[in-house]
Amino acid sequence: MGDGSARQLSDLVKFRRRRGVPELQLDEMETALLGSLLDDLLDALGTLPEDDPVRQRWFPDGYRDDVEAAAEFRALTEAGLRDDKAARTERCRAELPTGSGELPLPAEAAERWLTVLNDLRLALGTRLGVTQDEPTDIDPADPRAQSWVIYYWLTTLQDGLVQTAMR
Amino acid sequence: MPETLTPQSEELLEQEPDQLASADRPWVTIVWNDPINLMSYVTHVFMTVFGYPKAKAEKLMLDVHHRGRAVVSSGTRERMELDVTTLHGYGLWATARHDS
Repeated sequence: MGDGSARQLSDLVKFRRRRGVPELQLDEMETALLGSLLDDLLDALGTLPEDDPVRQRWFPDGYRDDVEAAAEFRALTEAGLRDDKAARTERCRAELPTGSGELPLPAEAAERWLTVLNDLRLALGTRLGVTQDEPTDIDPADPRAQSWVIYYWLTTLQDGLVQTAMR
Repeated sequence: MPETLTPQSEELLEQEPDQLASADRPWVTIVWNDPINLMSYVTHVFMTVFGYPKAKAEKLMLDVHHRGRAVVSSGTRERMELDVTTLHGYGLWATARHDS
């Protein structure tokens, strides 16, 4: 598992409480980035082929050593899980402020955003081939440097949210 | 987790289901380690899904993290499939298994 507590991007993520309700302060760049990531997530949920590693990571086998049981389980559960993911993503997309602004996160919304951020991290992390728990330094010459920055930013965001939600 | 526990993980894992699964609760849900899910998030999911107190949720999370997997619930096959589905909804890598 990853440990989101020690990234240099943490100063970009700003949580505070207003009348007891946590809220996330987002600048214009952050809302634009999140909006585009959520759009991509919705698109991917509807279009990724069965053998795509991201789809397999979102909907893993329910049985490890029983191919038949795994297929049966998948037939019963995958469509429902995908619809749930899409519905959560759409609601989060609708709540996202335009431009800079505050995203209020009462309990239900916090829980939903946590899960959606996790879906985003699973997708991006799978594409990047994340294999180790510990964050590594980003090589600026890596053509995927920007994706790594986004991945670690989402990590910081999710960890900040879970710390807020678990208090 | 103390490193001394790591090499014995297989034996320990074989014992674990016995603590949770008795004869009338022969199925278990296993959560597997992965490099993307955050430790804080996994703890939160165990607390939310199973209602475990934080200490128990953290212990299970650390078992997953250090031993590669942990039995997180036990019961009927139907109940375990429900748990696995719920955990998949949260993005955890969970499987059901008959505890034979």
